[in-house]
Amino acid sequence: MRSVRPNEPSLDARQALWFQLMQFYIREAWLLDERRFKEWLDIFTDDIIYFMPRRKNVLRRELHREVTPLGDLAIFEEDRRYLEMRVARLDTGMAWAEEPPSRTRHLIGNLEATPLESGDVSARTAFLVYRSHLETDSQLLSGSREDVLRPLDGGWKVARRTIVLDANVLLDKNLSVFL
Amino acid sequence: MGMLRKYAVIDPLTGKLDRRIFSDQEVYDEEMERIFGRAWLMIGHESLVPQLDDFFHTYMGEDPVILTRDGQGRLHALLNMCRHRGNRVVRCDDGNAKRFLCTYHGWTYRNDGTLEHVPGEREAYYDALDKSSLGLIEARVETYAGIVFATWDKNAPSLEAYLGDARWYLDTVFNRRDGGSQALGPIKWLEPVNWKTLVDNCSDNYHVPTSHLSSARVQTRFIGRPPLSHEDQFASPNKHAFVNGHSITFRDADDNTPRYVHGASKETMRMFQDYHEATMPEIERRLGALRARRVQLANHSIFPNGILGLRLALPRGPLKTEFWHFVLVDRDAPEELKRVIRIGSQANNGAAGLFEQDDVDNWRQVTEASASRLRRRHPQDLSMGLGHAGTHPDYPGIVSERYISENNQRLFYRRWEEFMNAGSWSDIPLTSISARFEGSATMRG
Repeated sequence: MRSVRPNEPSLDARQALWFQLMQFYIREAWLLDERRFKEWLDIFTDDIIYFMPRRKNVLRRELHREVTPLGDLAIFEEDRRYLEMRVARLDTGMAWAEEPPSRTRHLIGNLEATPLESGDVSARTAFLVYRSHLETDSQLLSGSREDVLRPLDGGWKVARRTIVLDANVLLDKNLSVFL
Repeated sequence: MGMLRKYAVIDPLTGKLDRRIFSDQEVYDEEMERIFGRAWLMIGHESLVPQLDDFFHTYMGEDPVILTRDGQGRLHALLNMCRHRGNRVVRCDDGNAKRFLCTYHGWTYRNDGTLEHVPGEREAYYDALDKSSLGLIEARVETYAGIVFATWDKNAPSLEAYLGDARWYLDTVFNRRDGGSQALGPIKWLEPVNWKTLVDNCSDNYHVPTSHLSSARVQTRFIGRPPLSHEDQFASPNKHAFVNGHSITFRDADDNTPRYVHGASKETMRMFQDYHEATMPEIERRLGALRARRVQLANHSIFPNGILGLRLALPRGPLKTEFWHFVLVDRDAPEELKRVIRIGSQANNGAAGLFEQDDVDNWRQVTEASASRLRRRHPQDLSMGLGHAGTHPDYPGIVSERYISENNQRLFYRRWEEFMNAGSWSDIPLTSISARFEGSATMRG
């Protein structure tokens, strides 16, 4: 028998959490790529903050300034109502950035999950998202997501999502897909 | 001797516009010299370099420029190009530094542009290098209410004369409070669009109820934003005004509506109203009653590439533009109001903004239509409201009768012709200041 330190989940519990969360993220990716955005909204808590800061060029010794903090101008700083509004917009028939809609593929990996004292879990993932639009437009978005996941209704919900793109100037005509 | 008019692209009688100007490399190259090499260009804001030795990296057209505040507090706009070979001496977006080191051979410049140190000055150059003539190339800098402008042309008029009576309108947003404003941002992204379409679109209130109807509708439904329709826009008492290349659209209304663009919702309207009423005595003192109460600046552009507040259309070749989106908030506004405006602004504008994202495919296809020899045979039609603009007893500039008009766009392309056909600044007409600037607000804030 190997010894387990108190307060540290056993390897099995960690594996179980990792497996559970990976399934959660794979399901989310399919919801997005199959354009089931109303169902996608269900993965968020009512107090979600969906946040995408800007990323700056700074010197190595100043890397603490690389990602802009909450309170500065962000690319996304949305609560649940704003997210619902974005999704509802797609059904108006006049959301021209997504009419005809983009074809996307979300690849999510590199999951690291850390249980927090509150019972929430901090989950980091990396993503590659490919978007193809109209005839020849395409973009490749890469970055990380840092989520706070909360156990709710027998599953997990995202209570806070911070998306950090690996880009300074976005090379894309617009950012009309969800990450 | 008449001036050679190489460019005649907009027909003032019919509003037909030559599409070639949106795609031709030769035209673009001449724009860089004749417009971006001459005009006052918006490059940033004093609040981006608040401390001594702060710098902010920006662009004048396609050329990289370092906006610095030197050790004495003076602002400089320095071309980011080492005088030796041309390497950039700054690669960061912003920071604090007394000196800039060229990473190629080590030439070192002070943040006022002076060349301070050259490795091997004695041994390799035999003390024959004239360092005093090799400082970073410096542009003229002036500010308007904290917004920093720069020009490469020593013969350009003052910024005050350049803005002229457009400032009469711009003051109503940029010069409202004693404490000035504060810039947040920018969000930066590339659009496959010629830079002029982004600028011309600032006076295009016609597109709003079609391009942006989906966003307006859900905002009305979800957050109680006032509805938007063509009928309202056609009936509205708002107008266009044009001065010296600067396009203004504004609301002419004697009411007590608070100034809001972003963040307005049924929950936040009270806060906007309270702020409006609490600050009105100060604003009347600064701007006079007419401007404080009746003039509400709407979409606008500052020639050549300042669009809707402090936002920049930075040309990147004829078919590409880098868009920079800042948000300006009153420095002394309550923090909660700043937060609401900031969040509302990212929801509407920026790369992911609900409104902004719907513009791009329209604009890019306008650009694309100009790149084809066959499609170019058919000019753009900018005939809306021809003959329905002139002077106005209360409002400076050339004022259109309606809020939806293409008068400003026609005049924007005429201004473009004036710059493109001019041999020097002395050939570029400037309307002298004649508006009554009531109140205490000045260029300096």
